[in-house]
Amino acid sequence: MIATTMVSRDQRDVVVLTSLAIALVVIFLLSLSIGQMFIPLREIAIIFLKKLGLFTSVETDSVHETVLWSIRLPRLVMTTLIGVALGVSGAALQGLFRNPLVEPGLIGVSSGASLAVVSVIVFGSTLGLDRHSLGMSIIMPAFAFGGGLLATFVVLQIGKQMGQGANAGPSTVAMLILAGVAINAMCGALMGLAIFHANENQLHMFTFWTLGDLGGASWNSLVIATPLLLVGIIFLLRYTNALNAIALGESEAFHMGVDVDRVKKSIVFFAALSVGASVSLAGAIGFVGLVVPHLIRVVFHSDNRLVMPGSAIGGPLLLIIADMIARTIYAPTELPIGVMTALIGAPFFIFLLVRSKRAK
Amino acid sequence: MISVKNLSITRSGKQLLKGVNLEVKPGLFTAIAGPNGAGKTSLLKAISGESAYEGTLEINGTAANKYSVAELSKIRSVLPQSSHLQFPFSVQQVVKLAGNHKNITEVMELTGITTWATRNYLTLSGGEQQRVQLARVLSQVWDIKSYPRYVLLDEPTSNLDLAQQQLIFSLVKHACERNIGVLAIVHDLNQVAQFADQLYFLKGGSVVANGNPKEIFTKKIIEETFCCKVNVYHDPCTDCPYIVPDKNLFTTPLKTVNA
Repeated sequence: MIATTMVSRDQRDVVVLTSLAIALVVIFLLSLSIGQMFIPLREIAIIFLKKLGLFTSVETDSVHETVLWSIRLPRLVMTTLIGVALGVSGAALQGLFRNPLVEPGLIGVSSGASLAVVSVIVFGSTLGLDRHSLGMSIIMPAFAFGGGLLATFVVLQIGKQMGQGANAGPSTVAMLILAGVAINAMCGALMGLAIFHANENQLHMFTFWTLGDLGGASWNSLVIATPLLLVGIIFLLRYTNALNAIALGESEAFHMGVDVDRVKKSIVFFAALSVGASVSLAGAIGFVGLVVPHLIRVVFHSDNRLVMPGSAIGGPLLLIIADMIARTIYAPTELPIGVMTALIGAPFFIFLLVRSKRAK
Repeated sequence: MISVKNLSITRSGKQLLKGVNLEVKPGLFTAIAGPNGAGKTSLLKAISGESAYEGTLEINGTAANKYSVAELSKIRSVLPQSSHLQFPFSVQQVVKLAGNHKNITEVMELTGITTWATRNYLTLSGGEQQRVQLARVLSQVWDIKSYPRYVLLDEPTSNLDLAQQQLIFSLVKHACERNIGVLAIVHDLNQVAQFADQLYFLKGGSVVANGNPKEIFTKKIIEETFCCKVNVYHDPCTDCPYIVPDKNLFTTPLKTVNA
């Protein structure tokens, strides 16, 4: 009977993940089609085939072709990668800290990365570096990664000082989150200081980095960030079994053969890498890393063998939908993506808080 | 065999364990008992590889620190006093965390948790959760191998009712039949008398007595270990000694006991 139950659950997980993947493909195609300029799916298919050297004789609108190839596709590829990175990082960090309220933003990754990027923009331009130059597209992900890693390291160190012993109890997790709040506040203040030195144009960018914006996508910007994002995502997905063991406690995970210290350091490193790369592309986009893993847990179950890949698909699904709304609701003006994800995410976050309080 | 020789632990200038010698033989149930603060959990944590120590600790003839974390998990499993699962896993998922899916059906049936397989672990009572945890711990080392395996239990029956306590110890004894050595911290001396093959009395960080419970359960040894008056009787039904604390509890003034 147990074997039957296990098989049926595993099969159900495959069905869930396949359904989510199909939904992602559908939303991806819809998002390619919908915008200020509507491009029929049939024409999209032909444009793609023409790029592959097929149907070259079929006439297509050159404006549509340019919009699709140079604007929408890089934007959607970037949105998808960022969605995967935020979803997987959120799931991994929630699993590591054994707390469903953790997200990359809460433990300082996003704000550390944002601070680094804002500093590069404000002080880089003083040094004559252009934001859209190739040099900047190399420097920014590196700084975003470094900033995210540094901020997370400081938060972890504070948590470590407060929670002695191998088993991180609830108070340690609370300390980590409070330390994250403090580091976020400090990064916010330092960003304010950087902005104090900024000109009008840079002030506009400040809004971009704090609320997130997917509008600046280009193939160039993806060249450097994509490998970083992919490395972070692939490595994080390797820790599903270790995260399952850690759900019982760090000591228990150690007893079950998990090298907890190494796993902890690796997860923080790769989460900082992928979130840092995301921030360098589109600023700090909140709530995706919080909401998506939690939704998977609430709707399905908490096994990280489902939660991690589920978040990898659910993250881009949510982000693409939010982006579609953000760029069409006030067309031709675009809302920053962070506004949309926060509008969806913030009420959900409050719901989680109330729910966890009631559960206690 | 787990062999502990001259093991000491010092934390923040305080010596928690002093020159402890202990053996856990495969197929036998070894119990550790003693007053609160005697260093029982510290000893278990050192043996499980969780905390640092001075002295010699060998598992199956190899120094314990020569094993990797993964290798160690195939030789011994550990049941802590309590585990706090943060996410709603099903009972079956919790047992599967041990990583050994081959024997899961057998172990779940043995521990009587098969019917709860799909239930949310967090909705179970404390006793039920403990049985699930025991199933997980047994599953980790259940498969018969060429080398002996061990189960380390830290007060496995605390907060359980009488029937659940007996069930847990019966299951542990059943594990011994598979060449698994069991080391458990147990407070109830009557259960030690019934189930344990070997007992170590720990007091103030040192072993003050060890041997077969039937032999070392004397009024003198128990009173000296626990600073508490007891009467030791013989139970003809179980052919084991049973211990009843005296109504006039303390052998020494209360002040001394607290100190």
